[in-house]
Amino acid sequence: MTETAAVHDRRAGVGEVLLDVRDLKTYFHVMDGTVKAVDGVSFTLRKGGRLALVGESGCGKSVTALSIMRLIETPPGEFAGGEILFDGQDVLKLDDRAIRKVRGGEIAMIFQEPMTSLNPVMSVGDQIIEAVLLHQKVDKKGAHDIAVAALQDVGVADPKRRVKQYPHELSGGMRQRIMIAMALSCNPKLIIADEPTTALDVTIQRQILELIKTIQERTGAALLLITHDLGVVAETVDEVAVMYAGRVVETGTVEEVLLHPRMPYTRGLLESIPSQAKRGQRLSAIKGTVPNPFRMPSGCKFAPRCPYAWDICSESEPDLIQLGSERTARCWLNDPRYHDRLEAYEASRPGGHG
Amino acid sequence: MDSIPTPSLPTIIEPATPPPTPDYDVQLESLSQWQIAWRRFRRHRMALIGSTLFFSMVLIGIIGPLIFQFDWYKIPTPDVHVNAGRPPSLAHPMGETGRLQWDVLTLVVNGIRFSLLIGVIASGMGAIIGTIVGGVAGYFGGWTDTILMRIVDALLALPLLFVILVFTKFLGSGSWISVTVIFGLFGWLGIARLVRAVILSLREGEYVDAARAAGVSDRRIIFRHLIPNALSPIIVATTLGVAGVIIGEAFVSFLGFGVGQETPTLGNILAGSLGFISQGNWWWAFFPGFAIVIIVLGINFMGDGLRDALDPRAKI
Repeated sequence: MTETAAVHDRRAGVGEVLLDVRDLKTYFHVMDGTVKAVDGVSFTLRKGGRLALVGESGCGKSVTALSIMRLIETPPGEFAGGEILFDGQDVLKLDDRAIRKVRGGEIAMIFQEPMTSLNPVMSVGDQIIEAVLLHQKVDKKGAHDIAVAALQDVGVADPKRRVKQYPHELSGGMRQRIMIAMALSCNPKLIIADEPTTALDVTIQRQILELIKTIQERTGAALLLITHDLGVVAETVDEVAVMYAGRVVETGTVEEVLLHPRMPYTRGLLESIPSQAKRGQRLSAIKGTVPNPFRMPSGCKFAPRCPYAWDICSESEPDLIQLGSERTARCWLNDPRYHDRLEAYEASRPGGHG
Repeated sequence: MDSIPTPSLPTIIEPATPPPTPDYDVQLESLSQWQIAWRRFRRHRMALIGSTLFFSMVLIGIIGPLIFQFDWYKIPTPDVHVNAGRPPSLAHPMGETGRLQWDVLTLVVNGIRFSLLIGVIASGMGAIIGTIVGGVAGYFGGWTDTILMRIVDALLALPLLFVILVFTKFLGSGSWISVTVIFGLFGWLGIARLVRAVILSLREGEYVDAARAAGVSDRRIIFRHLIPNALSPIIVATTLGVAGVIIGEAFVSFLGFGVGQETPTLGNILAGSLGFISQGNWWWAFFPGFAIVIIVLGINFMGDGLRDALDPRAKI
C-alpha cells in the first residue's frame, strides 16, 4: 500500500525536473593526450519522463551515463566541468558514502551485457538481496522476499527456485530480467538502461523493452535509455537527445526528431536503418568515420562527414539553436541567416521519413 | 531384407558407467561452481591418489601422537654401552635412534603432526596476507598498487632463505609457533602477485561495474565479489604452498636453525640422524624422509587435480 502511495506521490510530481545535466565535461587523460569523451553535454529529464541518448559508438553516451552514476574512474578520468543535478543535489560533489546511497538506491542501472553483468559465483538471489540490504531497512528474510517478488514482477517463472540459481544456468534474456529485477528492487527514481537489448536476440529484445517500459510506468521512475538503435527509441521513449563526438547535437520529442531531423547527422542515422521499404536498395551509411578524439575538427564536429556542409561549418561550431520550447539542434542550417539552405535541406528529404 | 543402417552417433566416452541420470533431471538442481569443481575433482585419478596420500598422512598426524606419545622430558632408558641406534624390530618397527634411543615411529608420527601443522598454518597465513595485499593492490591500482607491489619486489629480492635463517635463529628460539609465523610472514609474496594479477583482470568485468552501480562498497566488492572469483588459483597456490613450507621447514631445521629438538618435526628428526648415517642407521633418516616425500607428493598431485577441477575451461 505504501508503495502505491509512493508511486502516486511520484506521479503527482511528474513534470518536475529530476535530472539536470549542465555542461558536463568528462575527460580521460591517456598516454597520447586528453580524450574529451563528453564535452559540454546538457539535457534534462523530468520525473517519470523517458529520454533516450542516441549516437554511434564512441559518441560519449555511455560515458555520460556512467558520469551520472559517477562510475568513471578518476584518474584516468576527470570531471573537468559542469554539474549533474539529481533531485536538486550535484552528484559530482557528493562524498563516497552519499554517492553509494544514490547508486542503486536512487538511480539504478541496467547494463548492456547480461551475460557478464552478474557475478558468476553468487546466486542471482544473493545478488539482488545484497542490493536490497544496502538500500532498504529490512532483514535478510525480508530482503529475500523482496528479491522473490522482484523476480515475479519481471516475469521470471518459479522465482523461489530461480533465486538459488547461478548466472551460468540462465539464458541471456533471463539474466537481463534479473538485472531489471535488481534495478527495480530498490524503487529507484531513475533507471538508466545502457543498451539493454543490444546483446539479446531480436525476439527477446521487444520483450525486454516492453518490460522496462511497464516497470517504468508502474513505478513512476524516470528512464534514461542509452542506445544506438533508433527503432528502439521510437518504441520506448518520449524524448530524444542525439549525441555526436561528445556533444548533444539535437534534442526534442521522438516524433519531432525522428520525423523532422534538423541536424544532418540525425538524418544520416535515420537513413542507415535497414528497413523493408528499402528492400533491394543499397543500405545508405554516413560516409567517413567518427573523428579522431585527438584531432577534432575545429568547426562543427560533423562537418567533414556532412553532405550539407559549407564554409562556415568548418570555421566555427554552432551552439545548440533553440527551435521550440523543447527542441534544439546544433547546426548552422537552423540559423535564420541561412533560411534558404534549410529549405533546400528540407526539400532534399529522401522519401520514407515524411 | 536389408534394414536401413541407422547412422551411429559418436558414442560419448562413458560406457562402463550405468546409464547417467538424464540431463534435464540434473539441470533441475542448482550446482554452484564449487559443486561442479568437486564433481570434477572426484573424477581426477591423480587428485584422488594425491588426496588419499595426503589425508592419510593427516590422519596419522592426528591419531599417531595419541598412541605414541612423545615427551621430551621422558627420555627412554638408553643403553649406556651402545651409542648407535637399533634397527627396526617388532617392538620398534622403525627402529630406535642413536644417542638417546628414541623410538623412531614415535618421532615420525609426532614429526608428521608438527610438520603438517607448520605447513598448513604458515601457508594459510601467507594466503590470507597475500590475498588481502594482492586484492587491494589489484582493485585500487595506481599508487596503492605501485607501493604494495614494490614492497613485494623488494622482499622478493632478498635472499629469503638467509633471512628466514636469521629470523628463526634470533627470534625463533626454537619454538614451532614462531617458525610457523616467520614462514607465514614471508610466504605471502607469491600469492600477493598472483592475486593482484587475477584481480587486475577480474575488476574490468561488467559485474564489478554492476555491483558498484548498485552501491556496493569497494571493500565488499573486493572481498565478496572479486576474491571469491579468484579463489581457484588461490586454493591451488596455497595447497602447493603447504608442501613448500614443509620442505622449507625441514631444510631450516636440518641446518639447526629451525624448530628445537623438543618439538619433533620431520626436518629436525632428519637433522638428528645426520651423524649416524655413516654408522649404518638408515632407519633414522629413511622413515622421516619417506614421510616428507609422501606428504609433498600427495600435495602436489592434489594441487594438480585442484587446478584441473577448478579451471572452468578444462574438460575432464
